[in-house]
Amino acid sequence: MAAKASGVAKNRFKQDETRRDSDHVSFLKHRGFRWLWIALALSGTSIAGYMLIDQQPRPNGGTWYGYTLGTIGLGLIIWLSLLGVRKRRINPGAWSLKAWTSAHVYLGLSLVVVGTLHTGFQIGWNVHTLAYVLMLLVIATGVYGVIVYATLPASLSANRKEMTRAQMLDALTAIDRQLESAAQPLSRAEADLVIAALEQDTFHGGALGRLTGSYPRCATARALRSMAQGAAEERVIALLERRRDQLAQIRGALRIRALLEVWLFIHIPLTIALIAALTAHVISVFYYW
Amino acid sequence: MAFLIRTIDFTAAGREIIRDRVVEQETLTIGRAAECDIHLPDLAVEQRHVRVELAADGTLAAMALGTLGFGLDGRSVTQGTIDPRTGGEIALGAARLAFAREADGATSITIRQAVADEGKGDALRGFALASALPSKRAMSWVFATAILLLLLAIPVASHLMRTPVKNDPKGETPGQVVLDAAWTSGDLSLKHQSLQDNCESCHVAAFESVQDETCVSCHEETGNHAKMPRLAAGMPPLSPGDALQWQIAQGFGKEGPLGCVSCHAEHEGPVRQKPASEAFCADCHDTLDTRLTDTALGNAHDFGKEHPQFRPAYFASFGAAKPVRASLDTKPVERSGLIFPHDVHMNARGGAARMAVSLSQYGAPLECKDCHALTPDKVGFKEVKMEDSCEGCHSLVSGRTISGFSKLRHGDVQDLAADLSRISSGPRPALAPRRARPGQIGSASPYRADFGRPVRAYIGLSNALSPGGICTECHLPTRSKGQADLMPVNLPDRFLTRSFFDHEAHKKEKCTDCHAADTSKVATDLLIPDLKSCRDCHLGATAVKTKKIVPSECAMCHAYHVPAGQWSPKGNAPHYKPALPPKSGPDKTTVAAIFGRAKP
Repeated sequence: MAAKASGVAKNRFKQDETRRDSDHVSFLKHRGFRWLWIALALSGTSIAGYMLIDQQPRPNGGTWYGYTLGTIGLGLIIWLSLLGVRKRRINPGAWSLKAWTSAHVYLGLSLVVVGTLHTGFQIGWNVHTLAYVLMLLVIATGVYGVIVYATLPASLSANRKEMTRAQMLDALTAIDRQLESAAQPLSRAEADLVIAALEQDTFHGGALGRLTGSYPRCATARALRSMAQGAAEERVIALLERRRDQLAQIRGALRIRALLEVWLFIHIPLTIALIAALTAHVISVFYYW
Repeated sequence: MAFLIRTIDFTAAGREIIRDRVVEQETLTIGRAAECDIHLPDLAVEQRHVRVELAADGTLAAMALGTLGFGLDGRSVTQGTIDPRTGGEIALGAARLAFAREADGATSITIRQAVADEGKGDALRGFALASALPSKRAMSWVFATAILLLLLAIPVASHLMRTPVKNDPKGETPGQVVLDAAWTSGDLSLKHQSLQDNCESCHVAAFESVQDETCVSCHEETGNHAKMPRLAAGMPPLSPGDALQWQIAQGFGKEGPLGCVSCHAEHEGPVRQKPASEAFCADCHDTLDTRLTDTALGNAHDFGKEHPQFRPAYFASFGAAKPVRASLDTKPVERSGLIFPHDVHMNARGGAARMAVSLSQYGAPLECKDCHALTPDKVGFKEVKMEDSCEGCHSLVSGRTISGFSKLRHGDVQDLAADLSRISSGPRPALAPRRARPGQIGSASPYRADFGRPVRAYIGLSNALSPGGICTECHLPTRSKGQADLMPVNLPDRFLTRSFFDHEAHKKEKCTDCHAADTSKVATDLLIPDLKSCRDCHLGATAVKTKKIVPSECAMCHAYHVPAGQWSPKGNAPHYKPALPPKSGPDKTTVAAIFGRAKP
């Protein structure tokens, strides 16, 4: 009995060890690239079938092989889009979210092959090609997402310099308070420059500014450029410089964050658009059979 | 060194109370304890929390006195430096201590209570890109709705609500369905370009594949390759994938692999329908006899390797109603009813040649084209007319008239009889001199005609139709209903009725290279060249093209829908030429028809 119990415990320990080990494995390397191999097998089989099967009158979505590829592609797209549902459900089981994500990435990539072969390389200005192009865009943004998730978090951390986001904002507020009192002796025009700098939204610049890191209408920079030299201005300038540097850190964080997140703003809406286009594609093909 | 300490408070009414005091010290302590230089009554602050010291270079060094740090310019530290010229801010609990250099050189410390950070979490949201872009959900809705509306709902609705119209073969009716151009999977073929904007002309009903009936509504003249059940029986079995696809498709009402659209695939770009490939034909005809055991057709898969001997149509017996087909291997004997030795006429040194040289209309020995003229389609030859081709030498002149010569009409024995009797209708010469009596109008009178039986005409007709007579130079004498007659002339309009031979394409060859007319002594020789002679130049599609060898697809001589037509890369629609409707009986040939009806 005891031996059996210890056996179970040992087994349990082993299981937990495996789980703990796997906790530190990237979703890309999950289970020794299991899903990469599966995706490669799917792509290879699709290509081999395309080459070997005599499709009459010519290869496209209308042959039996074309229908097969199309059905596989449609099924994959629906399943891949369900990652959004799966990740919101916290449940145990064989299909860990990591496994699911790994499959999502690799099977998503194999869709390039399956989808392209389904088109039979016939491209035009129509709903069918729209669906194909949307699929490629979704995959491309997904690839971008995987790359930035692997590379950018390190620079995000480096940019923080041991400050939290809240502290970055606090630091800016602290500077702003001092700036307000320091600017008291200034003339009207210069005071207006300071007011403009203080009033400008910290997150001014929009998505494009965030992504490029370029803020041509930054009021702090303008105030610095236009501030005259003088005893009273000296301190204001010093504070404005500190404000500019603090903003630069915040904007650095914004840029990295934007580069990390922007793909989802294309990936998700285009996925939904893709499902709509696929619906139109499938229905129209059989409507005008 | 003096510190100017300015405390800013607010009354309950919101009025600002400012208290200033000056502390003449080099260091300051800040904390909750009452003895501190700056006393902050805030539980979050330590009893003695921070000490600020004036350094030699004029900067202020702040350090935590306990283990708890303090906020310096927004950052949490345990020690730090403040340059009073640029200023700095220390945060302790809710208090904010702003350090600045006054004009008199003193360092001012302004203490105010920070407003509680409501909405700070909201501010943090600004870091997310979502704050600068429309929401993913909104974008998804917009895209999906636009696509489903424009590319699905509108075409479907306008298709369902249209008023169906009958197709016009010219394809000039505009389409009624809106935005269905986005559904096309490719341009239509060249011949269907005018239907480009009228999808519903072919896609008539929703979720119904294009039906043969719709195709035939314009292409009425298209013939069937064979009857549908025979086509189905002759087809080789489909691959498992194709079989499954057809099984499913036919379950949903698509016409089978023998429907129009399975070969005439549309939306493959602005191209022309390609001629059927050799492989396409060979699919069925390679081993057709194994599936259609009763077929008369020989197997064929490659003109150079396997193709049955030609089976021309010809009249196998005199006066037959219909031509028959037989393989050239059986050495068919043609019973056209004519006597015509080709060799005599084609001998450049013979009598016929001499005669032709002497005649202005020829001026040279006879050539094939003197009698045989191509039809406009360059496939067959026009009917040889006796009046045009023979009469130059084989004259039927019967006498002299005021304007020239009279001649016997050709083509109808009754006409001949009439012409002959006219010759003998003049005053009959007296057999012996007779004396004329008064009052009697003599036989020599110019007013007398011979109304008696045309005995002489009968004799003349009988002579003409008998062996050795003028008619039997070319025609075979016979008797019908007890009377002398001529054998009807039977020649088919076309010998190779199941294929297409373009004489124009062979005009560099001499006629006699293929048709052995120059050595043919009798009209019973069927001068259609055989398979072997064609293979001198024509081999199958896979043959290597050389100066002499022409790789030949089936479609070079055969068409799918109209056996005697041919696919041609240019020309007006239809691109195959429908065969002439088959004539039956004596109407088969016009010469024969005339003679067949001739009843003297």
